[in-house]
Amino acid sequence: MAVTDRTGVPVRGLTATDAWRSFRAAIGLGWAIESNWSDPFLFAVYTLAKPLAAAMILVIMFQVVTGGGNTEFLQFLIVGSALWNVVFGVMAGLVQSILEDRERYRMMKYVVVTPTSLFPFLLGRSLARMLISFIAVALTLVVGVFFLGVELRPNFLILIPALVIGVLSVLSLGVMMAGWCLQLRQEAWHYPEAIAGALYLVSGAIFPIDLLPGFIQPLAYALPTTWWLEASRRGLLGHGSPGQLGTIPDGTVMLFLVLATAVTIPLSLAAFAWFMQRARRAGLLDMVTGS
Amino acid sequence: MTGYRGSHATNAQEAAEWSNRRIIANNLRAIVGRAYPRIIGLTREPSWVFFEILLPFLAVSAFVFVYRALEAPEEYIGFVVLGGAVTSFWLNVVWMMAAQFYWEKDQGNLELYFTAPMHLMSILAGMAIGGLVMTSSRAIAVIGIGSILFGVTYDIREPLLLVAAFVLTMIPLYGLGMLFASLFLMWGREASHLAELLQEPIYFLGGVNFPLRALGAVSGVVVAILPLAVGLDAMRQLTFPGPLSQGLLPVGTELLILGAMSIVFLVGARFALAYLEHLARREGRLTLRWQ
Repeated sequence: MAVTDRTGVPVRGLTATDAWRSFRAAIGLGWAIESNWSDPFLFAVYTLAKPLAAAMILVIMFQVVTGGGNTEFLQFLIVGSALWNVVFGVMAGLVQSILEDRERYRMMKYVVVTPTSLFPFLLGRSLARMLISFIAVALTLVVGVFFLGVELRPNFLILIPALVIGVLSVLSLGVMMAGWCLQLRQEAWHYPEAIAGALYLVSGAIFPIDLLPGFIQPLAYALPTTWWLEASRRGLLGHGSPGQLGTIPDGTVMLFLVLATAVTIPLSLAAFAWFMQRARRAGLLDMVTGS
Repeated sequence: MTGYRGSHATNAQEAAEWSNRRIIANNLRAIVGRAYPRIIGLTREPSWVFFEILLPFLAVSAFVFVYRALEAPEEYIGFVVLGGAVTSFWLNVVWMMAAQFYWEKDQGNLELYFTAPMHLMSILAGMAIGGLVMTSSRAIAVIGIGSILFGVTYDIREPLLLVAAFVLTMIPLYGLGMLFASLFLMWGREASHLAELLQEPIYFLGGVNFPLRALGAVSGVVVAILPLAVGLDAMRQLTFPGPLSQGLLPVGTELLILGAMSIVFLVGARFALAYLEHLARREGRLTLRWQ
């Protein structure tokens, strides 16, 4: 149904169809920038080498210390490292789309003045990086299974809802960050890495959160990423993390994932709306900082 | 004798018919001028304190906790902290040396460099000196905070040799950055992909978080091409003398390798730059933005 103005005249561009058209066009653009402009060989190497190297660093650290024992911990490391590609891919995708379109291609202001919303454009524009991050997850798991002895025992009743809810929560965190980075200088390129790095540390991606200092642990339990990782591990490996988190029943883990996500999504959308409003008022949409 | 020739010249330096003294003074000014924004930026952009120290420190912390979870010997924690500090220099080389000419092109500075009567090596040297100063403060902060928080102790018996190892690591590292600056520019739009490709895979091959010898036969190849790996291996041997930090090669041999790398990369950078300048003038498209 079309949205109308005060006089009842339909307002063009605010329909779901227009949003979908904008989303679809942005997907094509995002994919073109991420892949088609690159040399295919380089693109394949780049897509495969980065996540694999990140996982192999952990594998070698594990081998150096244990000599190959305690395979349960190795599985914990590989699954955590693989899934983290999604968090980084989503956050980096959203933030870099905003910054590239404002600072580099200088298209942000034109997108904003079109009758459609920036939101579907932003989601579509960053989708390519999200898809690439899923390829990285799959690849890391395949290497883990075939070369490193990871035993997957998928439980789709946990895995699929965890994946859907988890991606929604990560996406909403990314949207909030994108809005925030709109307020900042070009230096904000590094912010997704910093924030994803902080979440990586606090969410127990590669070590049990029991090892964190006591004052950080409540934060770890409040984050949707912690519950998403835990639920995904159970969905993929058939068991949870080592430590306290692993003793919590599956149903409780899913419940906390849903609760944390239910809080994160409206907060992030409200934050994005506020950041956009501020950016319009302060003239930040066509700011070029050139740092 | 100073002035500008009216006849045809192949570049701006030829066109400026200057005395040797003026040429040297001009190039020194270019070095200082390009180093200045990076050094003065330390005081003018205080946000770097948060993100540029936090970012490497978060990664360091995550790997420290992995070693703690594996109940690894304390030396490994020291390896990670030292590796994290050296990583700061590598990140600087990749993002602020190798990719810099590409960003400069996008911002419209590159054509100014080509038309100014100075040698482009002066610009690269200024970038390297500024980057080295800027990153040293970050690396010191990572080592200081990491050492205090994680209780790392050092046993430095030959401080002068350690200083020599550090300096001999930085020369080929930034030399490689100078070489990459030209190559990245020629490879065009893939600069950001290449820069990302030079992160995790290099951390893995460089043994940033584990002893280099753990890579087995691969480490032999790495030692021949990657100054980060050789320098880190030498610095670890000099900082944590003990059986766990036994290097791939004796320190003296590694310093000789670093010396040879310095010459190769700096000469390579000089040739690559000359070729780049030739291409820029002949084809006239290297200074086109977004290509």
